[in-house]
Amino acid sequence: MTTAPFDPRVLKSNAPVPGAPDNWKRFFSFNTDAKVIGIQYISVAIFFLLVGGLLAMIMRGELITPENDLVDRTVYNGLYTMHGTIMLFMFIFPILNGLNNLLIPTMIGAPDMAFPRLNAVAFWMVPVFGFILMASFILPGGPANSGWWSYPPVSTQNPLGHLISGESMWLLAVALSGVSSIIGALNFVTTIIRMRAPGMTFFRMPIFIWTVWAAQTLQLIGLPALTGGAIMLLFDLVVGTSFFQPEGGGDPVLYQHFFWFYSHPAVYVIILPVFGIFSELFSAHSRKPLFGYLFVALASFAIVFLGLIVWVHHFFPSGVPEWMRNLFMVTTMLISVPTGVKVFAWLATIWGGKIQLNTPMLFCLGGLFNFVFAGVTGIMLATVPIDIHVNNTYFVVGHFHYVIYGAAVMGIFAAIYHWFSKFTGRMYYEGLGKLHFALTFIGSNLNFFPMHPLGLMGMPRRVSSYDPEFTFWNVVASLGSFLLGVSIIPFLLNMISSWVRGPKAPQNPWQAIGLEWLLPSPPPAENFEENVPTVISGPYGYGTGKPLVENQAAYENQQFQEV
Amino acid sequence: MTSSPSRINFPAVAIVSAWTGVLVVISFWMSRQAYHWLPVQASTAAPLVDGLFSFETALATFVVCWVVSIITWVVLFNRADKYDMSDAEPIEGNTRLEIIWTVIPALIVFGIAFYAVRVNQQLAVLGPMEHIHRGSPVEEVGGYVGDRLPSETVEVIARQWSWEFRYPKANVSSTELHLPVDKPVTFRLVSEDVIHGFYVPAFRLKQDIIPGRAIDFNLTPTREGRYRLRDSMYSGTWFATNQADVVVESSDGFQHWLEQAASQPLQPGLSDAVQEYDQRQQAGAKGWATVRPAPRPQVNVPGSNTLPHEA
Amino acid sequence: MTSALPSPDHGQGSAAAHGMHAKHNLTGFIIFLCSESVIFLAFFSGYAMLKLGALDWLPAGVEGLEWQTPLINTIVLVSSSGTIYLAEREMGRQNIWGFRAWWLVTMALGAYFLWGQAVEWSGLKFGFTSGTFGGTFYLLTGFHGLHVLTGVVLMALMLGKSFITDNYKGGEQGVQATSLFWHFVDVIWIILFVLLYVWQRS
Repeated sequence: MTTAPFDPRVLKSNAPVPGAPDNWKRFFSFNTDAKVIGIQYISVAIFFLLVGGLLAMIMRGELITPENDLVDRTVYNGLYTMHGTIMLFMFIFPILNGLNNLLIPTMIGAPDMAFPRLNAVAFWMVPVFGFILMASFILPGGPANSGWWSYPPVSTQNPLGHLISGESMWLLAVALSGVSSIIGALNFVTTIIRMRAPGMTFFRMPIFIWTVWAAQTLQLIGLPALTGGAIMLLFDLVVGTSFFQPEGGGDPVLYQHFFWFYSHPAVYVIILPVFGIFSELFSAHSRKPLFGYLFVALASFAIVFLGLIVWVHHFFPSGVPEWMRNLFMVTTMLISVPTGVKVFAWLATIWGGKIQLNTPMLFCLGGLFNFVFAGVTGIMLATVPIDIHVNNTYFVVGHFHYVIYGAAVMGIFAAIYHWFSKFTGRMYYEGLGKLHFALTFIGSNLNFFPMHPLGLMGMPRRVSSYDPEFTFWNVVASLGSFLLGVSIIPFLLNMISSWVRGPKAPQNPWQAIGLEWLLPSPPPAENFEENVPTVISGPYGYGTGKPLVENQAAYENQQFQEV
Repeated sequence: MTSSPSRINFPAVAIVSAWTGVLVVISFWMSRQAYHWLPVQASTAAPLVDGLFSFETALATFVVCWVVSIITWVVLFNRADKYDMSDAEPIEGNTRLEIIWTVIPALIVFGIAFYAVRVNQQLAVLGPMEHIHRGSPVEEVGGYVGDRLPSETVEVIARQWSWEFRYPKANVSSTELHLPVDKPVTFRLVSEDVIHGFYVPAFRLKQDIIPGRAIDFNLTPTREGRYRLRDSMYSGTWFATNQADVVVESSDGFQHWLEQAASQPLQPGLSDAVQEYDQRQQAGAKGWATVRPAPRPQVNVPGSNTLPHEA
Repeated sequence: MTSALPSPDHGQGSAAAHGMHAKHNLTGFIIFLCSESVIFLAFFSGYAMLKLGALDWLPAGVEGLEWQTPLINTIVLVSSSGTIYLAEREMGRQNIWGFRAWWLVTMALGAYFLWGQAVEWSGLKFGFTSGTFGGTFYLLTGFHGLHVLTGVVLMALMLGKSFITDNYKGGEQGVQATSLFWHFVDVIWIILFVLLYVWQRS
């Protein structure tokens, strides 16, 4: 019994708790605790989600009418380029790294990441290259405007001839982003390989850890290729080399190989952790073990292997030879096999379960539906004769927004709701959460479904104006996008007000099985500190009655003093 | 490992089979609808592509409907009571089922791929492709290389932001593409600046045009009409306006057009970008930096890009 | 507090924990090297694709690359891999001055390589912007040279640290990592030498 106003271990905790006066400062400093870094990543990412979303609203405002009548064409091209760049490099990769920071050490029973200072460095690079990207908006020539792919020769045209141009700042930001991600990947992979709790063999790791390991392996293998291509492009732009310039004997398609060798695996970097989230949440919210753990774990690495040999499907029409098109068509279609293994596993998990339709589960179910829809259009895109027709049309834009917003972002929201109480010590408001889900599901389907008929009819992507026959579906899509924009409001309200004054959370509100749920909410600075549990069974023991760790009861009864 | 029970439940099998039958019917119906989502079929490639798309729509419908059915069933009949936190049956897997749902999709995928490779071979659109130098002394020796092309070739010159079509045999150029119906045509695609995309949705065909290369591209139009050619690879500020019309007409009509065109003097062709650029300059060039559009190509027949088109 | 867990023991790191941490460092560094090799592989593939697809590969007035002096540089660099191995062996025998001697020899050989590279560059008749030949040549040799320079700097750091007493009680991961890096740089050079100087016709 202590006379302090709160549990002394909470003094070291990294979330604000009632009575602790200056905990908020930790989030604005160079703090090496992975849980603080995780919140920092997530907060910065959500800020840039709003920026990227605002750009999208302006774009959809332009596209609600066929003519170019809202912004100048140069402005539209800058907007769509920066929308894609910000959403990928400033939102989705940082937010996934944020979840990794929160969840990896706690789920495997480690005190922190393998390299805590490098971890903080990797985070602090994010606002730096974010600033560089945003600063490019005020350059006289405007920001980069050749799409987030930045294909030469159009990206190296540099009409004003300035050394510091939107494009060169874009390349610098992307290169820094790559370095930050590689540092993060090193940390995540080393931590998973080396710092698991005693008794946690590889095949007792939660699936989220498997999928993150797979995703970060792809980062390590793929990012250097992107960096190499970006360096060569930068030299073409500022020094006058001819790697990709035909006049000097260079080859523009070579850049496409460099670019997509990374950027295809990048999409698996995005979706694999979301697969992990689905595996965790479907199991917990059906109170049933994950069906087929071994196949699901191995499928993650099958996706890594296959994901590295499909990149040419992004540029089938560029003139690559027929044998190459056929080869990459087959490899691309094969990815649906390990992915299908996971989808069937989730369906078999929830079948016959005891489902709770709370906010995390709703987001997972909606995300699963959107993902399956995106998957079948993916098969169509993999099929070369069909792709020749729909490549570079809105069909592709619809497909990838279904995966990214419809599946990945919804999965990320699900994770945030599911683990919110663990890392803030408070419960979110369930009603606002359900509202957020409803608006998101309807908005994303209204926004992105119409893009499919548009693409089939032949509307190209990246256009600032279009022929009148495309008007109807564009109007629907724009209205959907405005709804999607509004849908973020209940989420922001929920996050802020719950953190500040939400009800205190119990240690394990979902009664879920996992090492992170054996920690107090929020966990102390070094998680289990000296009392690292010994894992004695696999991760999804719902209904088996087997405890996860030795002396489990001791970990389950950690209460704080009431303030 | 606790496995799912393996007694055969006949009513369940009957219901599942019946529902599968319903979904097969729906999928077949969707596959017929799929043809309506695509533009008119105006080339020999179009029926092949549409057939493949229709087949994949059937498969897609079946998969999506099955997944939705399972999710719906679970949400309706497997709900726990609000405060019930008890566990469900600890079913951890069923190796035989997992093997089945790995192998069967793999076989289906190989089946689709085989079908698609066959269609690819039938399409066979991509001809030989050679690298060229722009402004190379070698080319200057023999004159502009377009003059040495086989006579049935149509040379397509893509620029920021206009399309020029040259018929070397007839010594005709235009910014409106005319083609005789039911005759195979070979295009020679070149770009003078950045990557463009030669895309005619009604033909279902697209080919990127890479600067520094001359790409041969073959197709056969099968339906008379006026269609759209759209630049499909982002090529800069006025990319969206870089469109031209494709007029497919009878052989006689086409010959007549060529003869008429040959007698016309050279005049500026179509380029919406040039017009917009001039207007933009006059209005004070508000906006960010842009490359200047290439001047309108000098052609015999400018043609039109504002007449109604079918696709 | 109703927990039955023993009170946490704050602030006491054990030597074992330190050792574990050091092992993490080497694991992380090896993973980093694997990732770094991909950027070289990417540049190699780019070079090969451009060379194979080029109409005129060599710029006007350039007949090819002189290979004799680079061969000498290669022998120097490969030898330095041998000397760094000897240095590590001396360290394993607790012979700190033996270690420092061979380490210094390695640094000298590395510095000679860099000087030789600079001499070669200054004598060449083509520049970075001389078509794809010039671009890829300077990109490959320059990027590699940057790694050689980094290696020499790392070795200087390790040499300095070797004068701190008891620096190696907990293990020699810094030396091991630097040595691994040096071997990596060496292997990359051998591939580069073959691609640039041996494969001159196609």
